[in-house]
Amino acid sequence: MDIFLSAIFAGTSRGAIYALAALGLVLVWRGAGVVNFAQMGQAMFSTYIASTLIAQNYSYWIAFVVALISGGVLGGLVDLLVMRPLSRKRSSSVLDSPAMRSTVPVIASLGILGVLQAAAGMIWAAEERGFPTPVNSLGLVINGKIMPFTAFDLFVMGIVFVTLVATTYFFKGTGMGLAMRASALNPEVARLSGIRIGFVRTLSWVISGVASSLAGLLVTPSANLSPYTLDLILIIGFTAAVVGGLDSLLGSVIGGFALGLLVSFVNVYDAPEDIFLAILIVLLTVLVIRPQGILGSKEVRRV
Amino acid sequence: MSKASSYGRKNLVISILFTALVFFLSIKLDPYNQGQLSVALMFFIGILSIVLLTGASGQISLGQGALMAVGGFAAALGILNLGLSIWLAIALAVFAALLAGLLLGIAAARLSGPYLAGTTLVIALAIPSLATRFESVFGGDVGLTIDFGNPPAWLTSLMGEVGYEQWQLLATLPFATLALFFTSNILSSRTGRSWRALRDNEVAASLAGMKISETKIFVFVISSGFAGLAGVLYGLRGIVGPSVYPISLSLLLLTGAVLGGIRSILGALIGALLVVFLPDLVEWASASFSPSEQIANYLPAMISSLLLILTVVLNPGGIAHGLHHKKRHH
Repeated sequence: MDIFLSAIFAGTSRGAIYALAALGLVLVWRGAGVVNFAQMGQAMFSTYIASTLIAQNYSYWIAFVVALISGGVLGGLVDLLVMRPLSRKRSSSVLDSPAMRSTVPVIASLGILGVLQAAAGMIWAAEERGFPTPVNSLGLVINGKIMPFTAFDLFVMGIVFVTLVATTYFFKGTGMGLAMRASALNPEVARLSGIRIGFVRTLSWVISGVASSLAGLLVTPSANLSPYTLDLILIIGFTAAVVGGLDSLLGSVIGGFALGLLVSFVNVYDAPEDIFLAILIVLLTVLVIRPQGILGSKEVRRV
Repeated sequence: MSKASSYGRKNLVISILFTALVFFLSIKLDPYNQGQLSVALMFFIGILSIVLLTGASGQISLGQGALMAVGGFAAALGILNLGLSIWLAIALAVFAALLAGLLLGIAAARLSGPYLAGTTLVIALAIPSLATRFESVFGGDVGLTIDFGNPPAWLTSLMGEVGYEQWQLLATLPFATLALFFTSNILSSRTGRSWRALRDNEVAASLAGMKISETKIFVFVISSGFAGLAGVLYGLRGIVGPSVYPISLSLLLLTGAVLGGIRSILGALIGALLVVFLPDLVEWASASFSPSEQIANYLPAMISSLLLILTVVLNPGGIAHGLHHKKRHH
């Protein structure tokens, strides 16, 4: 029973981080129609910046805020330097078909991932680094019993909750959020009704950059930091986003927690080597049975 | 009909010229570069699988490395457990990869764009992890040891002493030629045209009576066979194991395909040579300003990633597209 409970708790706090990563993917997919495979590379880069600041004796919170800002700036730069020029390019025969138009940004984002990993390796020597937590990461003690749950876990879940509420409100409750949804759904019509599509898209890259750098900051204390450590989070985050529905914010968060539990149970009751296989099975099952995901809308993917 | 056969003759001539050129190089080069060139030929076959899949039919795969692993492991098991010769093992590897491609294709025919990219990426991670899961069969993290063996007697009596790297290159060459000939024929045939129709407009293709899912699965099967062939040759250099077919191998092949030109056979060759020889080239070019080891280690990855982004944004057709373009204007 204790093993079961601790698997649930570990899965929940892991799931919160996967949820953030999935949220970051969904934000760019909804805002710009691109699945950003460079996302956790951006998060890795901003986490290294935070880690450098902490090593120079700045406080955790200053490093935290700087990392979020640099995550946002990085997201904006990716859009301005690569994705926007790419989406404006119409003349090339390679980009003429819809199949290739959705494929080419994926290739571009893999290039960005490569650049960020190589740059991090050059600057920070690819040394693995630990990363501190802002709050106690020992088990909480309730009624004299040590719980399989730390204050840091609660902190992570609190942040995920706040992020979810804030982004949902942003999309549903503000004019800018509405503009964002409109420009992802039908860029031409949105443009004709006076929405500045370029600006709206860049904004979604910035917000996604902030969300994913948050995921990077929160996962790093339990996994060491190196240019490649966050790749796994991307894979799981992608699966979580697909499970939840690639265009649903709430769905991606549910998907994140579901995958957190899955990974945790495979770890505890089976073997860590099976994680990728389990993820693959879940991914294929969802894509075959319910391709739009738990909460996704139907027309998101044309078969 | 006469047009088709003239294509066939042209493809045959090109394949013979290609073979002659590589054979000439195999005599002239030093052992290190013989080895490098043989890896470039293996990558050429692997990149052709991407040219067929992504270039011709518009489906992306980030998991070609996993199919290479299927080929490599099938051959290694055949050699070590059944005592097959490397030639039979190569045939077995291609067959295993064709089967894997059929399974993959059935799942993938429903997907497109980013969904397909993500799913194949997960596959690229999951397949090699099977090797550590079933350690007694697949040899765990270390992998299984196989190699090209010694050059056959008739070859040494014909050519004098043949080094291991030279034998590796000469053994790879016929398969690269075969892949080249097969790809150029299929792309200029009715089948190739139907794949391009699928890529350019799925709705129109299905209205014209094409069976979309069957065609997609068929492309996956053929492309997987190429990847399996590349994979077994790549493994025969010494070891078949998860570290030989990492996710970065899949991405390297994709990079080569895009840099060279994702729709072109010539582009596949250029891309393969580029990704294999780039580290040597970078080392040679940067020797004069002697960068620190830390920077030198990551310089090739940085340059190829930057080239990938620049190619996609500025010249999505790749190097080969630029060449063709020039030719047309003159």
